[in-house]
Amino acid sequence: MGPKIPGGAPEPSTLDGNCNNAVLLNHGGVRWKNSFRQSPVLTAAPVRALIDEQISIKGSFLPPECPVTVCAQMHSDDGDLWEAFAHYNTNADGTVNLTKDHSVGGSYLGCEPMGLFWGLQPAPCAREGLRLRKKNVETPYVMLLSLLEGHVSPSERQSTELAAVITERWYMAPGVRRTEIRQDGVVGTLFLPPGPGPFPAMLDLWGMGGGLVEYRSALLASRGYASLSLAYIGHKDLPGSLTHINVGDSYFESAFHLLQDHRQVCADRVGIIGLSFGVYLTLRIATKTVVKPACLICVNGPVGSTVKFSDPDGRTEQFESDQKYWTYNDQGHVSFKDVSLPANLSAESKVKIEHLTCPLMYIVGEDDLSASSIESANLIEETLKAAGKSQLFTCLSYPGAGHLIEPPYTPNSRASLWSVKPQKLVTLWGGHPAPHAAAQEDAWKKILDFMERNLRRELLIKKNAGLKVPLCSCTI
Amino acid sequence: MGLLWSLRPVPGSKPWLRMRKMNVQTPMEVTISVYPGYQTEGFLDQVPLAGVVVERWYMAPGVRRIPVTEAGLTATLFLPPGPGPFPGLLDLWGGGGKLVEYRSALLASHGFASLALDYLTAKVTIETGKMVDNQYFERAYKVLEQHPQILSSRIAIIGLSLGTSITLKMAVYSQVAKLRCVVCISGSHVQPVDGSVEQIMSFFNKNAEKTRFNNENHMICRDLLLPIPTDPSLKVDVGQLQCPLLLVVGEDDQNWPTHESAMDIKEMMERAGNSHLLTLLSYPDTGHLIEPPFTPFAKASSFRAVSSRQKLVALWGGETAAHSRAQEDAWRKTLVFLRANLYGGVNTGIASFSNL
Repeated sequence: MGPKIPGGAPEPSTLDGNCNNAVLLNHGGVRWKNSFRQSPVLTAAPVRALIDEQISIKGSFLPPECPVTVCAQMHSDDGDLWEAFAHYNTNADGTVNLTKDHSVGGSYLGCEPMGLFWGLQPAPCAREGLRLRKKNVETPYVMLLSLLEGHVSPSERQSTELAAVITERWYMAPGVRRTEIRQDGVVGTLFLPPGPGPFPAMLDLWGMGGGLVEYRSALLASRGYASLSLAYIGHKDLPGSLTHINVGDSYFESAFHLLQDHRQVCADRVGIIGLSFGVYLTLRIATKTVVKPACLICVNGPVGSTVKFSDPDGRTEQFESDQKYWTYNDQGHVSFKDVSLPANLSAESKVKIEHLTCPLMYIVGEDDLSASSIESANLIEETLKAAGKSQLFTCLSYPGAGHLIEPPYTPNSRASLWSVKPQKLVTLWGGHPAPHAAAQEDAWKKILDFMERNLRRELLIKKNAGLKVPLCSCTI
Repeated sequence: MGLLWSLRPVPGSKPWLRMRKMNVQTPMEVTISVYPGYQTEGFLDQVPLAGVVVERWYMAPGVRRIPVTEAGLTATLFLPPGPGPFPGLLDLWGGGGKLVEYRSALLASHGFASLALDYLTAKVTIETGKMVDNQYFERAYKVLEQHPQILSSRIAIIGLSLGTSITLKMAVYSQVAKLRCVVCISGSHVQPVDGSVEQIMSFFNKNAEKTRFNNENHMICRDLLLPIPTDPSLKVDVGQLQCPLLLVVGEDDQNWPTHESAMDIKEMMERAGNSHLLTLLSYPDTGHLIEPPFTPFAKASSFRAVSSRQKLVALWGGETAAHSRAQEDAWRKTLVFLRANLYGGVNTGIASFSNL
């Protein structure tokens, strides 16, 4: 047992009798082991928490008004080292408190209690184009937080480390149950909160990157919502080639019904959350198929399909087949933004927003370089206004935030590796560290609040619209 | 935290259980559920309205658990995460014996290297039938003193019940142990001066006829040391103590005369002029087993002292709420005391805690 600590603790050995208080470290540096010196302490509370929970980090028993560095290091599921650090000056009482004090340098500036988490970046030795995504949600991120002497960088940790603490960051709360779903043709993973239920639920859709992305669902279940992560492209258990969407409307209907019909899910309290291309799917499911979600959450995605249809049921061609709207920056990184500009979408693929019958929250990162989110949000707003349905629409818009608005206290990648074949392609997501982090924190709160209002409380809007509200004892 | 400290074995369980986490590497998993109305029983037969699962840990991430068998010891060392060096603690439990790790794991989670020591059912005792001698404890002290990640000048001992007897003995009489401070919980200074473990236990057994039993046939041992002797050869001379002492006692302790002992210790130290070293925490309606907080309270439980073959039910004393609140308060103050003495200050440890 024991987490993998980057670098490991130094192995001290004593020198000769003349300086028997000195400790020779194994890389040649010397640190004075003065047995009368105070021993600094670094504490983090709570040491085990969900990824969206704040942690209080404090250093104590330090000399007053002295420079120190707090540094965070962890390994991704792929084994890449990520790190963050910040420079502080200790207070007059020899403490440093990240919930109150200001960073004067490093991965972030100012008072940022969670800066060491959202400010994480691949270590200098890491591979390029990385993006931090948890593949295995049943294990935590194990983070080593260290207190270092002076204003230094993490590479100097071994010779300057004063104290350390290890924290675990979880996507899955104790008692959350994870079940792989391969049923009725549906490929997904279901997360159920602890307890008897029944629970309100969410269908969870991601973008063209494909595969099965579980972490947001795991977190939603940890917050009391049954959640089904659904794969629709790029998964070996789906039919056809990995690079095409080979499933249509009936697939998404099956997935929604699977969730709705689950004995531990409240059938009339099922919503959908989508990011990127998942937004188009969310809107399409809500307006074109037979299912009736209770509410929708859309993050930075298009109002029409960005891939050509080979099939009226929704099956598409390859995303890379039409590159006319791709743009490149000086470094050869590609932006897909213009692909989803409403004017560039084919008319027949545009979702009929006016057919919306449930509340919709649309979240915009104003520095989104992967999707035309501002334009998409505007179009949705205008369409709903014209249809007399403005009361269904809520829009959150964040300056400086990029495409990947994900659960909070996780780092943003402004760009990352998109594909390696036929050639290596890095795609731009956008977003600047501090504003993106603030957006994630605020958006997540508002997402949970929106879900609580629409999936837990009385179904007010439906009542006002005169629709029948089926009884479902869905408590707490 | 009442749901945690008022946990009881469900009806139909074996009687007189006491909850102790012996495997500290896994958490206690607690399922907390909500039921409609005011109910008092039958929970297992119903579906709750909602539930949640909580993990309660003794060990923080990164704490290292190291079994120690060198120098003939039966012990486990817990090291906090980080480079150190850390202050060190020797952790001694009571007459029930065994290697009890949870308090040490928790102390390491709070930044103290802590060595849980089995001194009654140690391997050497099981194999030879002989109880350990005084040097056994000094060897344990040396393990801490010589460890490269432990500060040799910042070592303390925390003892409960019989562990207190050992702690006071070492603090006053050991030539080897240089202690920065000591914490004595639910213990007494009454014992043959600088006796071995065996001598101390025989001394207790000599008075065994003073054992009482209440209406429920629970054993009350507090009279074994009463009245507190005036003979100086039968009490650790606490007037010679040179380091701060945190004394924690429950005023309803039915197992050991800890309150009376505490009064006598205080008087002895006042007469000797070193009472500024004493901090006394005395809790009404609190029993013998003053442990880290938020764990279930047991007023009485099955107990087999290592010296006897008989399995009895010992009465520990205390009332649930008062005892649980005392545990919370005592633990918090213990950590403050240890931090101030072992982490803070460059000179001698801070003596008294009038602000506690």
